Amino acid sequence: MKLKRVVITGLGAVTPMGVGVEALRAGLAGGRCATVSRRDEWQHFLNMHSLVAAPGPDLNEKIVPRQNRRSMSRMSFYGHDAARQALADAFGSEATWPEHFSPGRLGCIIGSTTGSPIALSQTFEMMLPDRDIGKLNAVSFFQCVSHTVAMNVAQCLGITGSVLATNSACASGLQAVGAAYDLVRLGRQDAVLCGGAEELHPSVTGSFDVLFAASARYNDAPSETPRPFDRDRDGIVCGEGAGILLLEDFDHARERGAKVYAEVLGYHTCASGDHISQSNRAALIRCLRQALESADTRPEQIDYVNAHAAGTVQGDAEEAATIREIFGDRVPVSSLKGNLGHTLGASGPIELIATLMMMRDSVIYPTLHLANPASDCAGIRHITVPVSQQIDTIIKNSFAFGGINAALVCRKISPN
Amino acid sequence: MDKQQANSRIAAIFETEFEVAPDRLLPEAHLFQDLGLDSIDIVEMIGALQKEFGIQLRDSEEARAIRTLGNLQDFVFNEIVKSGAGDSPAPQS
Repeated sequence: MKLKRVVITGLGAVTPMGVGVEALRAGLAGGRCATVSRRDEWQHFLNMHSLVAAPGPDLNEKIVPRQNRRSMSRMSFYGHDAARQALADAFGSEATWPEHFSPGRLGCIIGSTTGSPIALSQTFEMMLPDRDIGKLNAVSFFQCVSHTVAMNVAQCLGITGSVLATNSACASGLQAVGAAYDLVRLGRQDAVLCGGAEELHPSVTGSFDVLFAASARYNDAPSETPRPFDRDRDGIVCGEGAGILLLEDFDHARERGAKVYAEVLGYHTCASGDHISQSNRAALIRCLRQALESADTRPEQIDYVNAHAAGTVQGDAEEAATIREIFGDRVPVSSLKGNLGHTLGASGPIELIATLMMMRDSVIYPTLHLANPASDCAGIRHITVPVSQQIDTIIKNSFAFGGINAALVCRKISPN
Repeated sequence: MDKQQANSRIAAIFETEFEVAPDRLLPEAHLFQDLGLDSIDIVEMIGALQKEFGIQLRDSEEARAIRTLGNLQDFVFNEIVKSGAGDSPAPQS
């Protein structure tokens, strides 16, 4: 069976930098850190040590028709906005996409760590005080389900192809892109809107906090955290937003004269089978090597590594060891989480979109806050200031709790 | 509470919960075809009315015959009278 070539033809983002891909690019180009204090909102939670976050923008939710809106939480509004942006980017107008597809040939795969943590919290707050099921409303379950963003985006846009949700915490979004890549290259879909979406909630930051994985030493200096690969890193800063890409059959894209950002060359996802929370460099190495192998790409052909590096003590060191093992100190590496915080399941696609912007503009954005590379993150080519450089081929990493790893390889191409 | 007061509170639910403009809230308006509600909205409506008037509607067989806003107003007021809930202020949500 001949596999299809798969290209990226549309981008959309809602991030802590604002609404739109240009806001994301401009924020990164300007070296902005989106981390702010959450002291006023969260200090009443007992034993919450991390009082920082990277919030996304508030959207005008009323632009969504009421009967779509009622089943949507903040993360679905983010995913919906980003998906519409991606369609508008790919087709000139978000409304014209049906002209380009037979029924059922456009899919939608969007991942998130959980269903809406805000809706989950509200549901239990309503139900538990009196143990009264009658307190529940009819629509909150649609916000709580794990495929809430994927199904809401599909409903809003009238998508009738394959609709899936990849729920693997911080690897959710990159797994969505990988799953979309598989569906398109197998010929099961002509195109798939894919990515991730997340929303902030104290229960999310708190879940990392209890594991000593959330940044807690910079509550009085939020703009100095997180610090990927840095000696003084102390954990993640939770963020929110959505990143959505349109992956499309190359021939389908060429026939309609589409703008092409890059071709997806290869992808791999695997598990460590080892530890529920700690990264395992052997598994990371296996993941990246198999992604490269599936892309028929040698390590020396990679021009840039967009790291997962979230600023955790253990995770960053394991990723640095992985990159050192495969790429040595030749290939430029940076993490964008110093700017964006960790948008968890949305981080893979958001950072992939940012990487495509770097590829387009021939510039590498640095790892913000990397003032003193840690000794356990040494031996790789850290980028600490913007670097002008042609980028043809990249690898994007995402790693998650549960030992879940994902890596995607893309290359710049012309559609003709 | 008289029926006009009850109708005003029902109208407020339609306006706030279901974003229906006041000028569309005519007694002959069909809940689905004219006011744009659907089956999930009806579930939400039952919950909102129960909370607003302190009455139990969920298991009512008579509710299944409701088609128009006028039907709903009549049904709700009858339930208020039967339950005596209209004698006391609305429960706080």
